[in-house]
Amino acid sequence: MAGGPAGWISVLIPAALFAYFLGFVPAVSDGDVILLATEWVPSLDIRLSVMIDGLSLTFALLITGIGTLVTLYSTKYLGSHPEYPRFVLYLMAFMVGMLGLTLSDNLLALFVFWEVTTISSYLLIGFNSDSAKSRRSALQALLVTGTGGLALLAGMILLGNVAGSFELSVILQQGDMIRAHPLYVPIVILFLAGAFTKSAQFPFHFWLPNAMAAPTPVSAYLHSATMVKAGIYLMARMNPGLGGTDLWFWTLVIAGGFTTVFASVLALRQTDIKQVLAYTTLMALGALTLFIGAGTSDAIKAAMLFLVVHSLYKAALFLMIGVVDHATGTREVGVLRGLARKMPLTFVAAALAAISMAGIPPFIGFIGKEFLYKAGLGLEQGSLWVTGTIFAASALMFVAAGIVALRPFLGKLADTPKPAHEGPMVMVIGPLILAVLGLFFGLFPDTIEAWLVAPGTWAVYGSPDVSVDLYLFREVNAAFILSMVTFATGVVIYVFHRSLRDALGRLFAANPIKFDPGWDRVLDGLKALAGWQTRILQSGVLQRYLFVVFATLAIGIGGTIWTKDALNFRLDLAAELDGLLFKHWAVLVFIIAGALLTAYTRSRMTAIAALGVVGIGVALIFIMFSAPDVAITQLLVETLVVVLVAVAMLKLPHLDPVGTKDRRPWHAVLAVAVGVCVTAVLVAVLQGDIDRRLTDYFEVTSWPEAYGRNIVNVILVDFRALDTFGEIAVVVIAALSAYALLRGTHYKGRKPDTAEDET
Amino acid sequence: MIAADLAIMIPEIILAIFAMAGLLMAVYTTKDGMAPALTFGTAIVLVIVAFYIGVTGEGTRIAFDGMFVDDAFARFAKVTILLSAAAVLVVGQDYMQKNNLLRFEYPMLVVLAVIGMMVMVSAGDLIALYMGLELQSLALYVVAALRRDSVKSTEAGLKYFVLGALSSGLLLYGASLVYGFAGTTGFAGIIDATAGGDVSIGLLLGLVFVTAGLAFKVSAAPFHMWTPDVYEGAPTAITALFATAPKVAAMALFARVVHDAFGNAVGDWQQIVAFLAVFSMFLGSIAAIGQTDIKRLMAYSSIAHMGFALMGLASGTAQGVEAMLIYMAIYVTMNIGAFAFIMTMEKDGRHITTISSLASFSSRQPAKAMALLLLMFSLAGVPPLLGFFGKYAVLWAAIEADMIWLAVAGVIASVIGAYYYLRIVYLMYFGEDREGLDGRMTLAPFVALMAAAIIMLAGIVNLFGIEGLAEAAAQTLVN
Repeated sequence: MAGGPAGWISVLIPAALFAYFLGFVPAVSDGDVILLATEWVPSLDIRLSVMIDGLSLTFALLITGIGTLVTLYSTKYLGSHPEYPRFVLYLMAFMVGMLGLTLSDNLLALFVFWEVTTISSYLLIGFNSDSAKSRRSALQALLVTGTGGLALLAGMILLGNVAGSFELSVILQQGDMIRAHPLYVPIVILFLAGAFTKSAQFPFHFWLPNAMAAPTPVSAYLHSATMVKAGIYLMARMNPGLGGTDLWFWTLVIAGGFTTVFASVLALRQTDIKQVLAYTTLMALGALTLFIGAGTSDAIKAAMLFLVVHSLYKAALFLMIGVVDHATGTREVGVLRGLARKMPLTFVAAALAAISMAGIPPFIGFIGKEFLYKAGLGLEQGSLWVTGTIFAASALMFVAAGIVALRPFLGKLADTPKPAHEGPMVMVIGPLILAVLGLFFGLFPDTIEAWLVAPGTWAVYGSPDVSVDLYLFREVNAAFILSMVTFATGVVIYVFHRSLRDALGRLFAANPIKFDPGWDRVLDGLKALAGWQTRILQSGVLQRYLFVVFATLAIGIGGTIWTKDALNFRLDLAAELDGLLFKHWAVLVFIIAGALLTAYTRSRMTAIAALGVVGIGVALIFIMFSAPDVAITQLLVETLVVVLVAVAMLKLPHLDPVGTKDRRPWHAVLAVAVGVCVTAVLVAVLQGDIDRRLTDYFEVTSWPEAYGRNIVNVILVDFRALDTFGEIAVVVIAALSAYALLRGTHYKGRKPDTAEDET
Repeated sequence: MIAADLAIMIPEIILAIFAMAGLLMAVYTTKDGMAPALTFGTAIVLVIVAFYIGVTGEGTRIAFDGMFVDDAFARFAKVTILLSAAAVLVVGQDYMQKNNLLRFEYPMLVVLAVIGMMVMVSAGDLIALYMGLELQSLALYVVAALRRDSVKSTEAGLKYFVLGALSSGLLLYGASLVYGFAGTTGFAGIIDATAGGDVSIGLLLGLVFVTAGLAFKVSAAPFHMWTPDVYEGAPTAITALFATAPKVAAMALFARVVHDAFGNAVGDWQQIVAFLAVFSMFLGSIAAIGQTDIKRLMAYSSIAHMGFALMGLASGTAQGVEAMLIYMAIYVTMNIGAFAFIMTMEKDGRHITTISSLASFSSRQPAKAMALLLLMFSLAGVPPLLGFFGKYAVLWAAIEADMIWLAVAGVIASVIGAYYYLRIVYLMYFGEDREGLDGRMTLAPFVALMAAAIIMLAGIVNLFGIEGLAEAAAQTLVN
């Protein structure tokens, strides 16, 4: 086998798992739900628990079954690629994630696996990392589904809180309580955000067609059969817990219906067959959403059936187009003609799958469509919308089937970039098996009914009281007649589909509906915001940093005073001012003048001197309130600071008068704001009671215990003499260091190893 | 009495003696010639002290009349601080040597900073708090400007110093207001003064100032301005230090102050902390997008991460503190790994830190690229990696505390933040192939990078049991 050991291991694992899961079929088809659990992170309530019921088993079988065929196919398709082992690793990681997602009984574990699929799909889409397009698509898919995933996490946490447990098996029992809870609406919105992004529902659909840049096996596996159905799985799984309300019904029915029609129209205008398939996948996802939302037992039944049906034929077609691409080097509708003779087996696979897709009896696709119609017609509300949607979609699907499987194979052989030849067996076998299964299930619908569809329906509907009875044909009823009309419409459209495509092409050229530019704009906007932040806030200018710090502080203090209503007292300003003597006024003027001079001068020297004036003013205030010792300290410190700063400033270059001018008004505003706030703090604080315990203590004890009447002195030299001693020591050490510095340092950058010696 | 008090402080005392002895010895012997040995020795001593604390510590012990508290919370923070500082020393050794920065003062300054941090997390009093904070800060101011011949490094050191001094001033002003209105600087006394939730306006304003000062130390926006400049300007090994141990210490101190001293006024500080958290998360996440230098990017990343840790704190519950501790432990591990890599980014023998130099790194160094990928995903909080559990814990704490808006804001911010981590991965794996990094990693950084990456994966099994320790630590703080 091509691909070496990585190849056969990658096939064996899913095959073994598939066999393992098959073993559960008998029990589950009897209506059993198998629960297994083990603790993971107990303190965070994360358990690794597994629930196997009809829904998860259906998914597990699809994942492992199609997975086996896809990996087998890849051994040839990518086996000679130098990075093939890496591809296998990613694919296996994806499969683990997907299985975990569908089997988890714990919401949080489900989320973890959900993100595993997101990441591994990111790596798989970007596998052809040489192409800018695939890199961009990978990132886009990751960001869209990742964002949705986090919304989902928020929804899960809310839901877990409401339900009191993260175990799905517990949550789903409490549907009525959840639906009545006030948090129901946010929970639904968050869950749907996750599901819609993952399953590419409008308006989050744009990433999926782009993601088709991935290698074909990846498209077949992730983007049609499994990953994009994770969102569908989530909606189906949560249906018993969250479904059944108007919000749920209309959101899903409208979004799903719109996606269905929108995607089928877009599918028609594609010329790349893979893109046609991408858009019909979108259509199928829309239809599934629609029917899960509709929520009647018939609708659920139809959805479960269509889920399996679609996976079978769509995976087959994707793989088939991969074979064609591999063999001819192109996927363009216009180029491929008459391949049937050169590639007979591929043609058989394509034809069988396409007939199922077109919904022609006796294939399972026909039954799927019949049930969709039946469910749509049976709805109490929105019946017309649902049925109409399905009608349009089915007709267009019929056309798409023709475009994909008829045109390229019939007619006269046309020239292709590579001469056409039959694909290797390992590649053709997969699509063949899947296509034949479509026929088999169509002829014997009871098998799939008993194995998958019935247990699945019970799980989604939330009760095993629904009888599921699939049949190929029983009577001529409304659904059957609709089917016939669909075929007729389909044939007509197919005949004219080329002119229709051109018309659509012109229409879209005239009125471009594009989501990609919008996406780019969001990313650009984010980058622009980041750039703005760097330019304005993080400019590297210390002044601005200080501005922000002080502004925040002013807002913080002002806000606190405001919200706490701290200025709610009467301040008798007149009385306060009356008490001021002339000397008080003089000092006040002195300080204000100093401050103003500091702010207005253009010279650093003047500024620091003026600042010294302010400090001396403060010292004078201390003297007036009879604290000469503090005043002396203040004077000394002030003088020292002025002298030291002045010495330092002598070494600095001159101020740039223009540069400082512009910002001063702003600084003035800020200074006033901070000043007002601090003043308000002081006034407000002084209204309250200051704890006077210490003051009283020292007043009482200073004479009897320390024989001193000057309390400050007593404290310094007696009560905390040891501290004072320590302070003196610090001053001495500081003085010594200053002396060492003043002697001058002669640091030479060239000889850093000896720098210390010369200090 | 004194002897009993000192016994409680044995780890700090040992380190202080070690630092002073180391300085003296180096001065009188070969000076910088000793630096490599001294760096390793220091790392070993730090690890031993961490083990000593982890193994012997038990219960809650109080020294110096409540000035100094040794409890499970302090021990958790101390062990994290000591181990991360030791890791940074070992990992950064080659870098420092290569760039001619390995002076004997470097390990000693780190030890002094670590002592400061240990005092911070054990502080039971505003004075002890300030002493620890300043010891840490002064040591860090110096190491930030260690590269004296580089304009950028000295500018970074100066900015850090000016803004740091300002924040210390704010904190002191707040402390004096608190002292004035509570009549004590001890946390126990302050919490008594606010018994019954009756907080006077003076205390409240004091709290605002103290919070502003602490926010600066944890580099929470809008007090974060120094972070990108200092991260970029400082030598990379020192940036790694800044990103790890001091953050844990400051965050633990923050928790200690708001719970031990203001535990009766949860409603009052909750709003402030929540604001800091939201602002930091968003600013960090958005601003990082435009960065071209990986060190600046890590700076914004750390701002955003501090926002998340603060979110845990903002919930005001024991669970919130537990979440915060788990978050910090995980954060430190991720950062050590990431910086071990950044330190060794070289091209043609020169250290470069541009993000674009990582282009198509995976094709040349698949193992390292994979390790870095794991770390980036973990930093972004992508499950199932360890970083996700940290984010999950804080989100959960916020929701339990009925702060759903905060949790939602956190989720949105982490989505935006994921963008720039993924950009690095994107560049490494899908970037245009250009002449990129060609340096080789020496043993220590390589082991650190790989170990951190493996921990991100292996830790998801049971988080190595740290949640149990964090829970116990949180219980002793919040009761």
